[in-house]
Amino acid sequence: MHELSIALSVLDIVRTAAAESGLARVTTVRLRIGRASGVQPDSLRFAFDCSTAGTPAEGATLEIEEVPVGGRCDSCEKDFTNPEPYVLACPLCGGTRFRLTTGDELHVLDLEGEP
Amino acid sequence: MKVKVVTNILKANTRIAEENRRVLHERGITTINLMSSPGAGKTTLLARTIRDLGARIRFGVIEGDIQGTHDAEVIAALGVPVIQINTAGGCHLDANMVQSVLPELPLESIDLLVIENVGNLVCPAEFDLGEDAKVMLLSITEGDDKPLKYPRMFRECEALLVNKVDLAPHLDVSLEKIRVDALGLNPALQVFEVSARGGQGLDAWYAWLEGKLKH
Repeated sequence: MHELSIALSVLDIVRTAAAESGLARVTTVRLRIGRASGVQPDSLRFAFDCSTAGTPAEGATLEIEEVPVGGRCDSCEKDFTNPEPYVLACPLCGGTRFRLTTGDELHVLDLEGEP
Repeated sequence: MKVKVVTNILKANTRIAEENRRVLHERGITTINLMSSPGAGKTTLLARTIRDLGARIRFGVIEGDIQGTHDAEVIAALGVPVIQINTAGGCHLDANMVQSVLPELPLESIDLLVIENVGNLVCPAEFDLGEDAKVMLLSITEGDDKPLKYPRMFRECEALLVNKVDLAPHLDVSLEKIRVDALGLNPALQVFEVSARGGQGLDAWYAWLEGKLKH
């Protein structure tokens, strides 16, 4: 729902990193997005394409690595991966006390470009 | 040429939220981020809380809305310092918006700052504003299926006010289901069943709120 503000934050990070590394043009940006982060990759791509116009990242490909939701159950004491974005119970034993360990990631990993 | 970045996209927000938290703590201010869907009764609850506790607690309020100043006018009529933020379509407040209005509030004479977020059960849960506690309001007219449909919001909050309980006799809604599902998502959640209009159940909420004060 707020992919535009996320896209603008990505663009800020990309512009800073590109300037620091002397890249005049950015061709690829790689992100890691957790499935429970609330960010829809398709909407983010659209927002990114709209917001990069006229910047060194114009036309850059956004590669998104999605991270499934995972956690550790307090009942069966096993690590699990959940097929759905939100975990209501441990998918292994049905226990409702667990800690989520992955799924809310929102990271810029790296970028590629030309000097 | 490849450049490693590995930066949290929300880092800028988190950094500003930490600055807000530091500024507010230095002045001994407790900050609550109040969230709900539109129409759940945030402003009614806040106005009632201010009327009932205003003699003991010095309130300050930041109102977040997509547009308009209705809520700020309701709060200003109670003689409480209030700033309205209009997000112009934005679905949530972020730390930067809060930081930009803090200088407009008389921070030296506020004990409890309440930030009324944009009505939305999705995005506000994801943005730290610099608050001490996130509190959410769910009105029973929204249905008892909401905890399982909007789990992140229920997980992020310290307290849940289940509002409009005076309407329960007229609705096919289970207060028990709301409580059980919400506690299933967040076992540490404090649940208060209240009517912000009728006053039912508010004493427990007030006691919790006063327990959050720094002095």
